[in-house]
Amino acid sequence: MNTPDTFITRLLRAAKEAGIDPAEVTYADQDSFNARAMEGSIDQYEVSATRALGIRGTVNGRMGYASTEAFDDDAIAMLVEAVKESAALAEGEDQDEIFAGEEAYPTLEAPESDIGSAGAEEKLDLLRRIEKAALSTDPRVTKSQGAYISTGRGTVRMVNSLGLNLSREAPLGGMVSCGAFVVGRDGDSVVTGAKHFAGRKVREIDPESVGADAAEDAASMLHASPVSSGVYRMIIRREAMRSLLGTFRGIFSAESAQQKMSLLAGREGEKIAADCVTLMDDPLLPGGFASMTFDAEGSATRTKAVIDGGVLTTLLHNRKTAAKQGVATTGNASGGMGGAIHVSSTNLFFRPGEKDLPELLSEMDDGLLITYFAGLHSGANPISGDFSLLSSGYLIANGHIVRPVEQITVAGNFYQLLKEIRAVGSDLEFLGGGIGSPSVDVGALSVSGAEA
Amino acid sequence: MLDRNIAAEVLARAVQTGGDFAEIFLEDRIGHNLTMRSRKLETVSTSRAHGAGIRVLDGTRAVYVYTNDTSREGLMDCAAQAAAAVQGGAGCRPVAFSHWSAARAEEVRLLPTDVKAALKAEKLRAAEAAARAVSPEIVQVNCNYVDTVQDVLIANTEGTFVTDRRVRTRLGVAAVASDGHENQTGSEGPGASMGFEIFDSRIDPEASGRRAAAMAHTMLHADACPAGVYPVVIDGGFGGVIFHEACGHSLEATSVAYGLSEFSGKLGQQIAASCVSAVDDGTIPGEWGSMHIDDEGMPMTRLQLIENGVLVNYMIDKLGSRRMNMAPTGSGRRQDYTWAPTSRMRNTYICPGTDDEAEMIATMGTGLYAKSMGGGSVNPTTGEFNFAVAEGYWVEDGRIVRPVRGASLIGKGGEVLMRIDRVGKTMTMAQGMCGSRSGSIPVNVGQPMIRVSSLTVGGK
Repeated sequence: MNTPDTFITRLLRAAKEAGIDPAEVTYADQDSFNARAMEGSIDQYEVSATRALGIRGTVNGRMGYASTEAFDDDAIAMLVEAVKESAALAEGEDQDEIFAGEEAYPTLEAPESDIGSAGAEEKLDLLRRIEKAALSTDPRVTKSQGAYISTGRGTVRMVNSLGLNLSREAPLGGMVSCGAFVVGRDGDSVVTGAKHFAGRKVREIDPESVGADAAEDAASMLHASPVSSGVYRMIIRREAMRSLLGTFRGIFSAESAQQKMSLLAGREGEKIAADCVTLMDDPLLPGGFASMTFDAEGSATRTKAVIDGGVLTTLLHNRKTAAKQGVATTGNASGGMGGAIHVSSTNLFFRPGEKDLPELLSEMDDGLLITYFAGLHSGANPISGDFSLLSSGYLIANGHIVRPVEQITVAGNFYQLLKEIRAVGSDLEFLGGGIGSPSVDVGALSVSGAEA
Repeated sequence: MLDRNIAAEVLARAVQTGGDFAEIFLEDRIGHNLTMRSRKLETVSTSRAHGAGIRVLDGTRAVYVYTNDTSREGLMDCAAQAAAAVQGGAGCRPVAFSHWSAARAEEVRLLPTDVKAALKAEKLRAAEAAARAVSPEIVQVNCNYVDTVQDVLIANTEGTFVTDRRVRTRLGVAAVASDGHENQTGSEGPGASMGFEIFDSRIDPEASGRRAAAMAHTMLHADACPAGVYPVVIDGGFGGVIFHEACGHSLEATSVAYGLSEFSGKLGQQIAASCVSAVDDGTIPGEWGSMHIDDEGMPMTRLQLIENGVLVNYMIDKLGSRRMNMAPTGSGRRQDYTWAPTSRMRNTYICPGTDDEAEMIATMGTGLYAKSMGGGSVNPTTGEFNFAVAEGYWVEDGRIVRPVRGASLIGKGGEVLMRIDRVGKTMTMAQGMCGSRSGSIPVNVGQPMIRVSSLTVGGK
């Protein structure tokens, strides 16, 4: 076995000797811990240490790609041969380029974290307390689907033959996440509920409140039923709105637009959303889970509004898409672990407004509060913008919850939805990922439920 | 892949602190991936995955440790870490290995690692050209070719020491039709547990390209699907996703063993209409979800799940078998060494029935004919499922009147199975990737054309 440093050095040398020049290596390693509590016992316990390496390199002006998780001598020969074969076949009009690096990069302070120092017993103790709290909050919620706790830390390193040599923690400061899944039963009604938490300090977790929130989530859904089919005023609560934004975020990629997979192609400067909508992509967000100072091509990252007051200001670019459109990269290159460079958002979120959820509900008066969308991978089409999703939430009258609602679908089109947003709430949340949203008043959407 | 003495040493270390079972899953996987966009071969990449996972069981508790370092030292270190998480269990005495190789090399005629990437690229070109030729409104075609050769070794303290080679090849075509204001998509993704010879018998890239493009084109000119509760006819092939979601997941030990499935404790009971029988079969040669052994080293099985509406079997992995006091069924699967195995489906389908397909539509009144399905998901505890209709047609008075788009189907598994009132004569299967607790794995879904007397149809 080679150490990562020797492997990278030997690989870049072998690549150059084989005529692959320039060449670039991206190396990532990750340590993770994961445990589950089920009915009072720790029934799953998982530890891992993994690493992977991707190489891309140019032969006769064409880029080839390969990756490995084995770091033996055979792997070097395999990677070099694979890159050559791959480059010989590549024929894209706009080839990825390898970049020598910026003169300067922004700086990001690492958030305070105890991920490296918290011990396994400490985490398991929290986990038991989460599950216990979840099952002792409401007499109708006594069945566990498991509580979990995970921690992870990793690094990403980029080295190329043009002199680039960068490394960063991924995510910066590591991450701890935990939560509980529970079942509520009352008579014939069976429902599930959950609560999740993510942060950087194991010692900041309040296990009793995580558990209690999961139980309350389930209890609040007991005896849910559909509403009649029709068009309803609707507020989408932050966690459901976040899942919807995550599903459709690809439409803001210049790569999608150039491939005619996004209807936002060429619409920079146009009004595509309501005045109250500002969508940020902020890689320098302090404490952000997708915060980073350089992207997968080694470009410096920067903060920008993708939609500013309803106007599309920019799509997200890497060096290739930017060159094609004659603009500068926005520092949103992703990938690079043995495949093509693509485009991805970093910390993408709707900038919060002034009103909290109760105020939004009170302004809506009557309608639906949607809290969960199921099957986003199949019921939402990121290319057409259409969605028709199994949903649950609450019926709202006079600004207050009347009863829980399940077994309905909510249908619409994401492009249209952006234009019809009436208000963006103040309760922005990310929950351990790069996508964030407050609760959003989306106007009116079509609902299919019980027979009218 | 691994010396037997080292394997024995690692397993012995893993159960030193009282584990009553230990297992090594070692994997080396070479994959090729080619993508074509805008008529150009965009990426050709080769990847090699390599690593091992060590699992120690102590009754119904499981510890899993995985790494890329498969040297003796790396594996011993994993075994020690796993053992450290187990204390004071019953322990076990490892049984001497009896070796067998499950791989039958003659089944794969053209190993993908031996085929030049240029030949693979030709298949993409053929699919792309055929898709473009369908209509000038086809503005984008993305084609993708993937193959994997996965070599695994599974050794455990019960004497299993077995190797297997899984070879899979798949073509994907996604077409986008646009009139400048709206986009609609169509896709096809045929695949099998075969090498490159798949293109001699199973996959016609041009036909796949045409079907994907025709679907996108039809949907571009379709009206929005009406919303409401209607009878629904679901075609064969990928239509089988309804059984996969509405019932299959809820029959996996992953939820049944914890009393978390709506079908927990219902063996021997009527859970579906009597015209419904269903099977999960990992033994069908060359099928996408077939293997020689499962990821716990168990031989493959054909498992009857439902017979004339009566629940007869669950799908059970090793850990599930301990909780349920029932034998494992060869259903232990995982995406790769980074996942501990659990009970999963293989090739799951509703068996052929006796009903006439034309009569099914002619007598349905007003409703939806779902010709082609997208994916879906389910909550096994409540049985709530959802899935998307990729290509749908509206039926009035038993006649297909127009294409409709944007439809989704929702319901509760137990209720829908009882409402199946027709099962056609010809069963076909289609390929999918199923995501669950042990990662994303290849599965077949299948069924003949069926009719559900009423379902909630989501639309506008």
